Amino acid sequence: MQSGVKMQDRKTDIRLSVETDIKFLPLVLSFSESSSRIFGLQDADALRLTLASEEVFAYLCRMTKDPKQVTLTMVNGFYYALLTFAFEGIDFDPRAFNLTANVSPDEEGLEEMGLLIAARSVDRMSIFHNAMEGTGFALIKEKTYPAADPWRSEEVPRADGVTFGSPDAEEIKVFVRSIAGGYSSFVYPQDFRYPGKVVDMVQSGEYGVLTAREPKGGIAGGMVWRSSGTSMIECYGPYIFVEEGRAGLAERLVAELISAVARSEAVCLMNRYATDDLPPGYFETLGTIDFALAGEKRPWKFLFRQLREDPGCRVYSHAGMEDFLKSQYKKHFLARQIVPVAYEGERQNPHSVFGAAFQQNQDLVVLLPLWDGADARENLARHIEALRAEGIANILLRIDLGHGWQARLYPVIEAGGFTPSIVIPYRGKADCVLFTLKG
Amino acid sequence: MLTVPLTTLVPEYIKKFETYIPSRPDPELMKLYQVDHLWRLNNNENPLGPPEGSARIIEQFPPKRSSIYPSGDSYYLRVKLAERFDLDPDQIIFGNGANEAIAFVIKAFCQEGDNIITADKTFAVYEWVAEFSGFEARLVPLKDFGFDDEQMLARIDERTKILFVCNPNNPTGTYWDEPKLRRFLDTVAGRQIVVVDEAYCEFVEAPDYPDGMKLFKEYPNLVTFRTFSKMYALAGLRIGYLAGSRDVVDVIRRTCIVYSVNGLAQEAALAAIGDDEHVARTRRHVNVEKSYLLRELAALGLETHAGEGCYVMVKLPMSDTLVYRRLMAKGVMIRTMTGFRFPNWIRVSIGVHEAMEAFITSLGEILAEGNNG
Repeated sequence: MQSGVKMQDRKTDIRLSVETDIKFLPLVLSFSESSSRIFGLQDADALRLTLASEEVFAYLCRMTKDPKQVTLTMVNGFYYALLTFAFEGIDFDPRAFNLTANVSPDEEGLEEMGLLIAARSVDRMSIFHNAMEGTGFALIKEKTYPAADPWRSEEVPRADGVTFGSPDAEEIKVFVRSIAGGYSSFVYPQDFRYPGKVVDMVQSGEYGVLTAREPKGGIAGGMVWRSSGTSMIECYGPYIFVEEGRAGLAERLVAELISAVARSEAVCLMNRYATDDLPPGYFETLGTIDFALAGEKRPWKFLFRQLREDPGCRVYSHAGMEDFLKSQYKKHFLARQIVPVAYEGERQNPHSVFGAAFQQNQDLVVLLPLWDGADARENLARHIEALRAEGIANILLRIDLGHGWQARLYPVIEAGGFTPSIVIPYRGKADCVLFTLKG
Repeated sequence: MLTVPLTTLVPEYIKKFETYIPSRPDPELMKLYQVDHLWRLNNNENPLGPPEGSARIIEQFPPKRSSIYPSGDSYYLRVKLAERFDLDPDQIIFGNGANEAIAFVIKAFCQEGDNIITADKTFAVYEWVAEFSGFEARLVPLKDFGFDDEQMLARIDERTKILFVCNPNNPTGTYWDEPKLRRFLDTVAGRQIVVVDEAYCEFVEAPDYPDGMKLFKEYPNLVTFRTFSKMYALAGLRIGYLAGSRDVVDVIRRTCIVYSVNGLAQEAALAAIGDDEHVARTRRHVNVEKSYLLRELAALGLETHAGEGCYVMVKLPMSDTLVYRRLMAKGVMIRTMTGFRFPNWIRVSIGVHEAMEAFITSLGEILAEGNNG
């Protein structure tokens, strides 16, 4: 397969190491603003990321009696700038990372106000803590792209003689405009409204695009995929623009797409936005969730396939969901060793963190436990209340059974009104369980 | 507690790699899938076991011998093989399985910016070793299930160092006959190294199949790979080799790891060389069971592809990785073909007749139950 848009070299990451002394704040601000502009953020976006960096650095200074070293890294994500603060030996309270975080008037709360302001200034802010990257905060500010009008070719393309390959930048734009012009917004990601963003996402290596091209250059159809963690790839489509020979073209596209990712590091492929042209036999149905969209119920099928032979794995489970897991594993022939876990009075951090991934075109939020804490039950209830107040119709929660502390949260999740619905093999460190909110 | 500063110790490019996790041992798989037996039809292993002489060596291997280092370069093996193929022993290098030989060749000839050329749907290790080592692997689509010589030649540029041809191809079983291989080598004209992987050569009975070991004088840029894992059933001992012209092999030897082949493997392989009766017996078995398999698969209404080699490809009306799990739950292990870029195909190795029957019965049940997709 010929490659159209090449993934770019990321050797241009920019770093600054300073001590957590407030006298270095001007240096940090200058670094954040200059490097984010170098990587393509416009005035308003660069300033918001700079403001966030000011709040984070000031917070870290307040948290350290003796100065500690912190390393700032600005990464060119092509459609975003990523600023990380990596440090060691600094204690911090993560509760400001909650969607529902608000500041109490006591002194402790004011200390975290800076993090809250930072979180609200960027598109995504998260904590990382692992052996390879160390501990720190990650702030992402996306570039602003113009939305494009949907487009439909006046001439209907034909399926005869098509060749498969990666399109160049202009073809990508035509392709995503054609999808927006021919399909309901329920079957493609929001990014497709911004063709320039899709081009940058392909360039960054986050998206892959495969098209079927007519001999005279027209696009007869295509598929898109995106890495979702290291073990999972999501794909979208197939999007078919021909009238005759749709089924054959769709099957060839699906087979080409699977072949394109078959030797990647991913072990699974999910079709996140399947169209009616998806051929039978290539994906397994893990389950269906009824979605509320614009007042109507729409079934959302979870379509999955493995890219490798399943070696089996170990998963953690609370007793409350063990029967559900066993029934799912039996139904889908998944070999799993279930290890029971429960909270047994051990010390907990005071504050938990839940992340929230929004999908506006599907009126959907997926909650993710990010940090274990004694207030998880109340914190989850606050999240649900806030999301309901926002009018979000579809609220899901996902846990990773590769992490014992997440499996142990089952009683909290159940008390929040969630029921386990679907097991997604290898979605995280091990299988993930998706819960739906009752009522 | 002492902590290892992995953030600074580990190079950035290593942080990006995912760990390769091989399949678990059979007893662990049997526990997970809750079965009391497992028919291994996934790795093209010889169900008849090693040749008699090799079996005797393995049975009688004195435990004390394990305290003594083996020959560092498989000396006696090279001498015996050289006699058999009319070569100089220094034209042969042994490795811990042929996979190691692939790494030796790539390391010997490629540097930053170079590329290798092979097919898209073939044994994955050529592509993997090249990519992991930082070299481009140019993949040429198969044509009618076979290596496309013209397109491979068309992809050569000034940075191409090695062309890998799997002959017969794993998994399709197609092969280049002698005239085709010669035309290819003539066109390359010595400018690149041509590796012909002959891992399954002993299974091929066709008279026009080329013997790479006879071509080194005419084509000094030719390197062949062979293994004792398949026909000679020594896969568990890990032993394979490469051969080529003296000058080329001298260069490859600079990159190779000495003492990587253990003493038992060397002695067992030595005893296997020249056991033509073992080869004939295995071929008869493969032919009989392959015919049975193809007949039964046709009766199930399935498309198949079978060429040379001890395996058959089968196209399924559902995901191959799902069928893998369902077959495992019935005690049958096959190879999924998604990783070979043949989604929804499986490769079935020729096993003992009982295993073939178990596979057919199990697959028939799965097809009758249908797909859940």
